Amino acid sequence: MEQASFPGIAKIFSSPPLRITLITALFLIYPFLVSDYFIDIAFYFGIYALLGLSLNIVLGEVGLFDLGHAGFYAIGAYTTAILNTKFGVPILVLLPLSALAAALFAYVVFSPVIHLQGDYLLIVTLGMGEIVRLALINNPFGLTGGPNGVFGIDFPSLGAFLVVDSSLEYYFLIWLIVGLTILGLTRLQDSRIGRAWNYIREDETAANASGIDSRSYKLLAFVLGAALAGVAGNVYASKLMCVSPESFTFWESCLIFCIVLIGGMGSIPGVLIGAAFISLFPEIFRPFAMYRMLIFGSAMILMMMFRPGGVWPRKRGAVQYESLLGDTGRADV
Amino acid sequence: MKKYVLLVSVLFLALGLGSVHAANDTVVIGLQGPITGAWAYEGQMAKQSCEIAADLINKKGGILGGKKIVLKVEDDAGEPKSGALAAQKLVAQKDVVAVVSTYGSSVCEPASNVYEKFKKVNIGYGVTAVRLTQRDFKYFFRTCGRDDSQGKFFADFVPKKFNAKRIAIMHDNTAFGKGLAEDTRAALEPMIKNKQAEIVYYDAITPGERDFRVSLTKLREAKPEVWYFTGYYAEAALLVSQARDIGITCPFVGGNAAINDEFVKIAGLNVAKGCYMTNEPLPGDLPYPEAKEFLDAYKARFGEIPSSPWPIYAADALNIIAYAVDKSGSTDSTVLAEYLRDKVDGAPGITGPIGFTKQGDREGVPFYLYVVDDQGDIVVSR
Repeated sequence: MEQASFPGIAKIFSSPPLRITLITALFLIYPFLVSDYFIDIAFYFGIYALLGLSLNIVLGEVGLFDLGHAGFYAIGAYTTAILNTKFGVPILVLLPLSALAAALFAYVVFSPVIHLQGDYLLIVTLGMGEIVRLALINNPFGLTGGPNGVFGIDFPSLGAFLVVDSSLEYYFLIWLIVGLTILGLTRLQDSRIGRAWNYIREDETAANASGIDSRSYKLLAFVLGAALAGVAGNVYASKLMCVSPESFTFWESCLIFCIVLIGGMGSIPGVLIGAAFISLFPEIFRPFAMYRMLIFGSAMILMMMFRPGGVWPRKRGAVQYESLLGDTGRADV
Repeated sequence: MKKYVLLVSVLFLALGLGSVHAANDTVVIGLQGPITGAWAYEGQMAKQSCEIAADLINKKGGILGGKKIVLKVEDDAGEPKSGALAAQKLVAQKDVVAVVSTYGSSVCEPASNVYEKFKKVNIGYGVTAVRLTQRDFKYFFRTCGRDDSQGKFFADFVPKKFNAKRIAIMHDNTAFGKGLAEDTRAALEPMIKNKQAEIVYYDAITPGERDFRVSLTKLREAKPEVWYFTGYYAEAALLVSQARDIGITCPFVGGNAAINDEFVKIAGLNVAKGCYMTNEPLPGDLPYPEAKEFLDAYKARFGEIPSSPWPIYAADALNIIAYAVDKSGSTDSTVLAEYLRDKVDGAPGITGPIGFTKQGDREGVPFYLYVVDDQGDIVVSR
């Protein structure tokens, strides 16, 4: 109906490059129209988008259940916090280092258990997330500051001329990272690796039989997902200027899991919608304080009842039959 | 389509409800606390306490010549990220004069950064981490004590009370126990220099063990006149009973985690009675007229008095904001911050006279010595 009445607008929105330009423009203009509070909400939306994208690699692309993703997020955040406060390493240098630390942790922990299937792996990841959180609380070697956490983390800066210390600058920092990540992941989806991941998700035995080394591909997904979560942890730590274990609870892992489920497994636009839902919803319903989690929960149940595949599910068959036809324009049936 | 229109209008309605404008004859004070989440219990009680405190002031004619206090509550879910957002939300509202914020130290940290940046007075009520007031912040205060206030209270009060010079300090190597022991030792330092006190024993026990006789024998040889244990009740109970067995008779003082009803049960009434503990005063034990008035009003509305010490600090934070606004005649943050820092000294509060140090810490934080009485109840030792 609407499409027929506004053919022009519908056309603009259906053209992918234009759509992307419009959305990007919207993101660029948005912070100049609203107060710091709304910029900050958009910042946390960005953090959750990044976390969602990182879990989407593991859960969406490869179909591995991971309910301990907050663990990687925590490792990224604490790597940043500890190295910055104890040794004065600049935040931006720590950005790749946090990613590396989380990735290394994922590699070491998941190497021996990557062969586990479905819910067995789920339990391992769940335990991993809790172990990380409890270790942080127990203050190993006096590094993590126990339940109080680490405080006094710097702002990210490039020399003296560019210091990221306002809500606006943090907004652009996180969305720049999210933008680059989306770019990379879209390319990855169409690559050999992306298709191998999807193959493993759909039928691991068949994938193995076709010569895909499912073990290394699954491990790669975990390592990459952890690295991105580590990046999110880095930005989060420098934004809040302090980290503490209650930011990385099981609940946080659940939220990240929900982002992917709500949006649609394996779908990048879906993850963004899911992240928006998770980060904006509690803020919108803030006036209802006590009841907002109730509303949040029921919204989620309704969501799962009426759109079990997610808001924006990924279309099957990324490579269209037509595009394989080449110049002849018709299939040789 | 209809569905979406409905959804969008519901969302806007929700946003609209949040921004009810206050009239000119009111003074809006914010409260940021864990209304939901793991510490919802604390947050709810803090909210109720602040409501009561505001009502009491309003009933007496308000402040600034008749203006009523309106409370504006923001939930931070006991979580740092939500804390920072709640703070952003409160600073965005120009009519909020100052904020009572918040319960947990790690939630307070990012939130107080926001308040500081936007120059809004914020007074913590359950935030005890020492570091919070070591950041040279202009707008941060707290009505509660710090993690090291307990050690200071012990040093100021206990040796005098027992007329003891030879002090034994025992901890359990946990972050909490060790911290308290170290703070106590640091607080005793000046007395040791003046030869008024001497630490004759300073060591740790291993939590979870059942037999502490080796450590206790060493303790006995040190001949302490008072013995301070900064760990938890399970070890405390065993320690006291085994100590009495081997003939250590000096008074036992526990930290605020060492003595509770469980302690009395494990140690037995015979051993437990006469054991002391240092603790924040529970609401019912406060001797001030303001406390009685507040608790009566609280009980009348909610049926019982707050079961935790912290909510009354929230009420006191609100009281002191109201006091400062009234006396300084200004709602400007900078004026208020200066007034609180320099002029407020001994303002009446539920938890006793309120004053702040240059860093924004509470001056003279109330701690009490509690004792197990003959019935096994834990009462204030007068």
